[in-house]
Amino acid sequence: MTYNEAFNALEILVEEIETDEIQLDTLAEKVKQANELIKFCETKLRKIDGDIKKVTEGNK
Amino acid sequence: MNLLMPQTQKLSELISDIDTTIKNRFGGKTFWIKAEITDVKKQPDKRWCFLKFIEKDGNTITTEMKGVFWANSYNYIEEFEEETQQKFVSGLEITCNVRVRFHKRFGMDLEVLEIDFAYAIGKLERERKQTLERLVNENPLIRLLDGYYSTPNNRAALPMVFQNIALITAPNSDGQRDFTNVIEQNKYGYAFAVTPFLTQVQGDNAPQLIMEQLRLVEASKTDFDVVVIVRGGGSDIDFKSFNDYELARQIALCEKPILTGIGHDRNTSIVDLMARQLKTPTEVAAFILDNNYGFENNLLRIKARILQLAEDTIDNAKDELKHYKQRVKNLNPTTILKKGFAIVYADDKIVVDPKSITTGTEIKMHLQQEIIISTVTKKAKNEKEYDL
Repeated sequence: MTYNEAFNALEILVEEIETDEIQLDTLAEKVKQANELIKFCETKLRKIDGDIKKVTEGNK
Repeated sequence: MNLLMPQTQKLSELISDIDTTIKNRFGGKTFWIKAEITDVKKQPDKRWCFLKFIEKDGNTITTEMKGVFWANSYNYIEEFEEETQQKFVSGLEITCNVRVRFHKRFGMDLEVLEIDFAYAIGKLERERKQTLERLVNENPLIRLLDGYYSTPNNRAALPMVFQNIALITAPNSDGQRDFTNVIEQNKYGYAFAVTPFLTQVQGDNAPQLIMEQLRLVEASKTDFDVVVIVRGGGSDIDFKSFNDYELARQIALCEKPILTGIGHDRNTSIVDLMARQLKTPTEVAAFILDNNYGFENNLLRIKARILQLAEDTIDNAKDELKHYKQRVKNLNPTTILKKGFAIVYADDKIVVDPKSITTGTEIKMHLQQEIIISTVTKKAKNEKEYDL
């Protein structure tokens, strides 16, 4: 999964959770999924950040 | 047979007579003449100069007279060279003030007292103007625009970076040394490949020889980024080669960019006008270094911009993600329970609609820490408005 795919999924999920129709039953599951997507994106971002820093320092 | 012996006189008597006649006619007088000079023999150590004044009819010399500069007028030769930027050599036409001299042993000559530079300068300027006009008139690609000569050579874009340099110059000249030193010892540590194309740059053959070197540069397997033509040494004042029509034309039409460093501040040759003029060899070298430095700076700027863009993109993504994280956290049932809310279950189902609950129904209230099980004893309408 790419960062963008994960982030798009997160956006959709959050919108779903925020609608009034959601049942509390499913809420917990959705929140869990959202947190997993957030974790994934955070890890990915940290890696990209590190890669950029590596490239920059390598060229100095 | 003539028995009568001719009347004779001594040689000295006749020569004295000539001497007297000349003195009577020319003594104490000076004359302005205009004539071509030839057989010029300068003796700078003694500050003398011997030469011949001639006049021609076609190629035949019809009149000839010896001439001489002594030490008191020798400075006019130096000034002439300085003012006209050309050497005082055979073939020149000069206007000068002379005195007629006669010596009983060495014969007659004209002693030069003064040279009129204005004439020489005027003549040079006329020639220069004619050459420039001819360049424009006979070559449609050479144009005069607002006092500036636009040629295929100086219109062609310079490469972004110079590395392969063809250097046309005289062997072991100051120009070659100055240029090479500045290029090789540059403080930026840039590497250059300088290929010398050596030729004489003065004298009657110089234009042809320089043109030949330029042809070699163009025919070379090396794709030179730039051609540098330099000439050095303050004493070199013979500029004539660089005002030659054929050479100037070849320079103007040459596709490789040409940088010239062949003169000093006050002289601009026609070759300079056809190419890109940088005055001295050192300035040409500095121009090349500046150009490459500019290129490197651009690269560094672009690099910094790319990094900045990358960082900004990451930062934006982080902020956005943080925002979503907060939203999810707010929606999390755990967060809601922490605020004192409870989830009400009846028959193990979450109660959304309270109509199904009547007095006596057993309900489970899920709080954050504990579950409270209770039986409903009373129901009432909620008058408060929580829907903020």
